[in-house]
Amino acid sequence: MSFFDNHLLNLVVFLPLLFAALVLVLPASEAGQIRTVTLIGMLVDAVFGVWAYMRYVPGGPEFQLEYRVPWFEMFGTSYHIGVDGLAVSLLLLTVFLGPLVVMASTTYISHRIKEFHLALLVLQTTMLGALVSLDVLLFYIFFEAMLIPMYLMVGVWGAEDRQMAAVKFFLYTLAGSLLMLVAIIAVYFISAPAGSRSFDYAAIYNGLLDANRQLSACAAGPEGACDSLTGLARTLYTWGPWLFGAFALAFAIKVPMWPVHTWLPDAHVQAPVAGSMILAGVMLKMGTFGFWRFAIPFFPVATQGARPFLAVLSVIGIVYGALMCLAQRDIKKLIAYSSVSHLGYCMLGILAVTAEGATGSAYQMLNHGVSTGALFLLFGFLYERRHTRLMADFGGIAKVMPMFTTAFLIITFSSVAVPGTNGFIGEFLVLLGTFKSDLGAAAGNVHLTAVFGAFATLGVILGAAYMLWMVQKVFFGGLTHRENQHLPDLSLREGVTVLPFLILVLVMGLMPQPFLDRINPSTERFLARARVGTPGATVDPSQVRVEVMSLPSKQTAAAPSAPVPLAAVPSTRQ
Amino acid sequence: MTLPSLSLADFFPLLPAILMVVGACILLLSEVFLSATSSRAYQAVLTVVTSVAAGAVAVAMMFEPPREVMLGFGVLDPFSSFLTFVVSVCVGLAALSSVGFLRNRGAERGEFYALMLFASAGMSLLAMSNELITLFVNIEVLSIATYALTAYLRRGTRPSEAGFKYFILGAFSSAVLLYGAALLYGATGTTNLSAMVGPLGGAMQAQPALVYTGVVLVGAGFAFKIAAVPFHMWTPDVYEGAPSPVSALMSAGVKAAAFAAMVRVFFTLGQGIDPRLPLALFSALAFLTMVGGNLLAIPQRNVKRMLAYSSIAHAGYLLLGVAALFVTAPGEQFRLLGPSELTGGSPLDLARAGALRGILYYLLAYTFSAVGAFAMVSALERREDEEKGTAWDLERFSGLAQRRPGWAFAMAAFMLSLGGIPPTIGFMSKLLIFQSAVDAGLIGLTIVAVLSSAAGVYYYLRVVVYMFMRPVPEGAQVLERNWGTELALVVSTAAVVVLGIIPGPITAWLEQAGTLFGR
Repeated sequence: MSFFDNHLLNLVVFLPLLFAALVLVLPASEAGQIRTVTLIGMLVDAVFGVWAYMRYVPGGPEFQLEYRVPWFEMFGTSYHIGVDGLAVSLLLLTVFLGPLVVMASTTYISHRIKEFHLALLVLQTTMLGALVSLDVLLFYIFFEAMLIPMYLMVGVWGAEDRQMAAVKFFLYTLAGSLLMLVAIIAVYFISAPAGSRSFDYAAIYNGLLDANRQLSACAAGPEGACDSLTGLARTLYTWGPWLFGAFALAFAIKVPMWPVHTWLPDAHVQAPVAGSMILAGVMLKMGTFGFWRFAIPFFPVATQGARPFLAVLSVIGIVYGALMCLAQRDIKKLIAYSSVSHLGYCMLGILAVTAEGATGSAYQMLNHGVSTGALFLLFGFLYERRHTRLMADFGGIAKVMPMFTTAFLIITFSSVAVPGTNGFIGEFLVLLGTFKSDLGAAAGNVHLTAVFGAFATLGVILGAAYMLWMVQKVFFGGLTHRENQHLPDLSLREGVTVLPFLILVLVMGLMPQPFLDRINPSTERFLARARVGTPGATVDPSQVRVEVMSLPSKQTAAAPSAPVPLAAVPSTRQ
Repeated sequence: MTLPSLSLADFFPLLPAILMVVGACILLLSEVFLSATSSRAYQAVLTVVTSVAAGAVAVAMMFEPPREVMLGFGVLDPFSSFLTFVVSVCVGLAALSSVGFLRNRGAERGEFYALMLFASAGMSLLAMSNELITLFVNIEVLSIATYALTAYLRRGTRPSEAGFKYFILGAFSSAVLLYGAALLYGATGTTNLSAMVGPLGGAMQAQPALVYTGVVLVGAGFAFKIAAVPFHMWTPDVYEGAPSPVSALMSAGVKAAAFAAMVRVFFTLGQGIDPRLPLALFSALAFLTMVGGNLLAIPQRNVKRMLAYSSIAHAGYLLLGVAALFVTAPGEQFRLLGPSELTGGSPLDLARAGALRGILYYLLAYTFSAVGAFAMVSALERREDEEKGTAWDLERFSGLAQRRPGWAFAMAAFMLSLGGIPPTIGFMSKLLIFQSAVDAGLIGLTIVAVLSSAAGVYYYLRVVVYMFMRPVPEGAQVLERNWGTELALVVSTAAVVVLGIIPGPITAWLEQAGTLFGR
């Protein structure tokens, strides 16, 4: 590892902050300069982000491009970053959206331009930081800190009810994550004996691993398997579900899963176009990412118990979101509810614990960022022209804005998962994974798997219905409003902003393999870790244990994460 | 009777307090030679220099071995030195924010700063007191100075009302404390805390009622001082009526010193009596104070009153840390407070050191955030509006982000820090308190704490909403800048943000400060 490799992620994460400092010293009246500097910052960051994506070796160790230094040692934490396949993919998505968001806001944001771009750059840093954190506390800090710029973005540059939406968004998310903080602290204490505790992901995961295995063996139960439970395993048996619940609640609010989704429509509708794009594109993924990285691997046994329940919530979210879409007259709200529905697929795919489901879910996270981000972007262009969100105010737009309509249609196809677009691959894999899963068995009846699958499929059909219905009402038919007769088509700037989305829709739809290559190793490890909780499942121990770099200092001796040779790890195959 | 002989070296541990008293005397004496129109800019500077010097000495003393000083009337330990450091920070920042405040009111006088320094000398000595009479005297030293400061601006009814209320209730609580101390003396025959531990066990057998009453009365006296619910009634009125820099000093400095003394007294008593008594006492107080303070703050539109209630809420989080000190074996006490399995089960020494560190770090973090917030309040208020009661309305903050972006950023940082949102020092300190509470097995109380702090974020955010999301009101007054206020804001903002990201030397000092004499 060269010096550059060591610091590549630091660079990606903190470059936006550096440019924020640059923007800070520019005079507030120089809007053009501020926009240019921000755009350059985002572009440079995107270059380094893509570089990091390329540097990630799919067959290599789980976490790559690691960097770790002591930081707040008294708290038991360290500054530890690194990426696995999923994180680096979401990182790519984040840096991809960055410059486009700046370009989308050029005309949309007309007041307090400097503050807006500062918020944008800080937000970028916090999101990237959360994705690369390998220390649970560091993750939590970024996870919370990203609320502040987003809250300001919704509250200052949003639509008419922005203050209410901003406060609701902030408090809703905060309440959930504070409970998770207590759970994180509790996990920190139980995962290792005094003196060797650490908030490091590997330390906590490896600390809980043996107890989780014992519990799982106990649940699978030949007689007597439960007799020799260690203290930690007994603690996990009693309190694991509660701890998992606290993690799950925080992430479920972020996803958002039904019924804790109610902040989302408000925040999305009121947010400016940049806010909506980032919210849908990246921030919601923090929820699914959290389940994938933290909640499920830490508590596989509790997850096993909660899977049917969470899967039911996901399916309700899918169908409910779609039905709400059918009832909307407000286009932005429709796109917001479609997010609830789409994220339901991501959750269902994760909970299926099958290779297809997890891969599809990870792919769907990327797809949703691209397609919904683009939908919000395109709708933002329309809103700038007409300043209304109601479908009834449009109609026959295709006649005056043919290029815009084309772009919108392509993105719509991606959103409703037409074959050939990226959306198809994600949703298809999720559905396949759901049908092949043991969700039904976990819920008590093998045939229930088909029910989950059927409802999820119903969501696909409804999804096509509401999107096409909306497209038809807005773009086709006669021009019903005189105001719409002279709407200008996409300008060059707008065209340039949309084009990357269109390209990505097709590239990801027709050539998914490069993307899947990076997701796959993560999927395998995720499955292995989730299956620790499945009674009777065979788990490859080399996939389970988390190996990370240890702190390069005096702490190494005491660190619980000191790597144990793989051969020494006792196998719990049955 | 022979007089004790003290060498010069025996006074070294009192150096911070001596510096503060000397500074105060210089201020008082030099004031005599000034005419009404003379420039008094040097006074604030002298106060700040004094507090910086005292703080620096306190930091140096953190690395001294813990020991008894002044014939056992006081102790020097890293805990008390850290607290002196906190007090120095508090009085320095409060003095800076007083410059513009006093000038606007034509009330610049040397007495003001001198009283501040006397009060902080009392706070510093209170943290070191190891004997009940000394403790009482120091409480009075700091209280009488703050009574006078509260009523310093004699014009108008509010300051007099606040001063009188503070005096009556303060005197009452001191009396309660003294009565409790007298009962403890009656039971054990000594007022020295270190000497009390031995006889306390026997006294518990012989006269349990006497000891328990004494302990509870001492606890109630302290509860008044730290404004714990249900002994908090005086707080909002007093903080609102007092000059804003004085409110800052009271909410951070006085409270910090009272917490330190309370921890020392009860920690010592806890070794003699059943520790379940202080545990129950502080758990109940923590619960009521966290929930009560936050709920009462929610409806406030007056930012100064809101900060007063918020200071009550923060006393609640601190009490959570205090309660964690008295857990001897997690889970054996009350199942209600938390499951026995979900604890750190750290060795008692480690767990207690962690709780002490948490309390101190929290006090420091609260000092930076609250003094900064009060400095902002004092920068925005106008004398004309005080009688109308609109001087501190949320409306004052409308559109501040457009008028003074720097101020708005600073206030937002203070609010987020008070709310415990990362990346601020407020989050880090809350984390340390919660960590020690979970380690002690107080999971139930910790969950109450996080939920009530989520409720707290609502009213802190409201200030941010007004600053960033409301338009500038018509005919808003010109915001005067003053070097003192701006410097106070810069220092506290830098501390709030930077210390939340980079640990700096503070955590190294804290590593030391988990040591309490006699443990």
